[in-house]
Amino acid sequence: MKLMSSPQSLDLDITNRCNLRCRYCSHFTSAGDVGQDLAKEEWLQFFEELNRCTVMNLCISGGEPFYRQDLPELMEGIVKNRMRFTILSNGTLITNEMAAFLASTHRCDGVQVSIDGSNPVTHDAFRGEGSFSRAMEGIEHLRRHRVSVPVRVTIHRENVHDLEGVARLLLEDLGLPSFCTNSASFMGLCRRNAEVQLSVSERSLAMESLLNLSKKYNGRISAMAGPLAEARNWLMMERARRERRESLPGGGYLTGCGGPMSKMAVRAEGVVVPCTQLNHMELGRINEDDLIEVWQNHPQLKRLRERGTIALCDFDFCTDCDYIPYCTGSCPALAYTILGKENHPSPDACLKRFLEEGGRLPDESLMNSSGNRH
Amino acid sequence: MGVAEKDKPIANPLIVLREEFDDWAILFDPDTGNAVGLNPVGVFIWKLLDGSHTAEDILKKLRESCRNVPEEVEDHLQDFIQSLVERGLAGYEAKKA
Repeated sequence: MKLMSSPQSLDLDITNRCNLRCRYCSHFTSAGDVGQDLAKEEWLQFFEELNRCTVMNLCISGGEPFYRQDLPELMEGIVKNRMRFTILSNGTLITNEMAAFLASTHRCDGVQVSIDGSNPVTHDAFRGEGSFSRAMEGIEHLRRHRVSVPVRVTIHRENVHDLEGVARLLLEDLGLPSFCTNSASFMGLCRRNAEVQLSVSERSLAMESLLNLSKKYNGRISAMAGPLAEARNWLMMERARRERRESLPGGGYLTGCGGPMSKMAVRAEGVVVPCTQLNHMELGRINEDDLIEVWQNHPQLKRLRERGTIALCDFDFCTDCDYIPYCTGSCPALAYTILGKENHPSPDACLKRFLEEGGRLPDESLMNSSGNRH
Repeated sequence: MGVAEKDKPIANPLIVLREEFDDWAILFDPDTGNAVGLNPVGVFIWKLLDGSHTAEDILKKLRESCRNVPEEVEDHLQDFIQSLVERGLAGYEAKKA
């Protein structure tokens, strides 16, 4: 695969600060938790370099982006430098004025707000009291000004029995076109609050519930990771194994992440990293190192891009696994946080291990509905 | 109307020319989020839409720089520039009254 001349998009931790301390936050206590923020002027200078590099999109996260009082000035810098942006937020600090400002830029592709329950009990369980009502107010402000709100639901032990209620709230009561899901995973604060993660039986339940809901709501629930993505992927792998297919696309190698071919990230203090989840891998510093040089020639980034040539059959971890030709090893960041090495299949995404620990896959017929096509 | 009678087209400065690899590129409009693919000849032409080249100038440079230029290149060039103008990706500098 050929490398683009520059990254198409960048993920920026625009701040290290946040008004909440969600117990499964992937940021705090990770290598991205740098304890300081870049000054506005440094970000604005960097945006000019991104313009010269013809970067098209920025994903602004943190911390909580709306914690920064100078966020509007940063947005203006993005607009001035010919880019579009999305924002990842807990929603609690979004005011009517801010929503109006975002709409006025005409460059905001959406503000992803986290809603983890159908009511304050399940949402606030790990996010803190009062966060549900404030996040819902934030969504109201955004929708009033017609800013797209792609809600994200992080599934954990306290809301796994509330998924039907969440879907009803978001898709029926609020009338959102869709929402996406993931799950609390072994990163950041979740590493020391392991009780928030789904057990094997809860993971099985979540997979079945989400496939049922996806069918009920005609595919309006999506996932790049977490139980719904796993259900779809694992059912496909199981079918391929049963039918003795030679392989699935990308199967048999560590091809689970294509991120380093199109994007990079920057931590809150200005250090360039491959991804906000692979934030221990320091590649350079903005406004000091040339971004194109880092993108095209940094040895660590090159090695990460060559990860897809590493065969799963070379790992002891994969010995005697029937799913090797269908498996891509999944997320390198999760492999790193669990094992301390990114060039390894993620144990968390291992179907063989899941089944050995008593996990069960949903009924395959749930995949055959119109809402669950790949 | 012949090429020589056209004014000097100019690229919309807001549009991002994102050169990828093998001389192919994307024109990205940050206001709409739309992206249009350009082949190497399209990129060559785009870079000459600087307000100082007429379509005839561009045609001449194309013939100098490219091999196997088709006979109908003049029509193709006019169509290409016209499509850019219609999409708001290029225009003509307004003359003072």
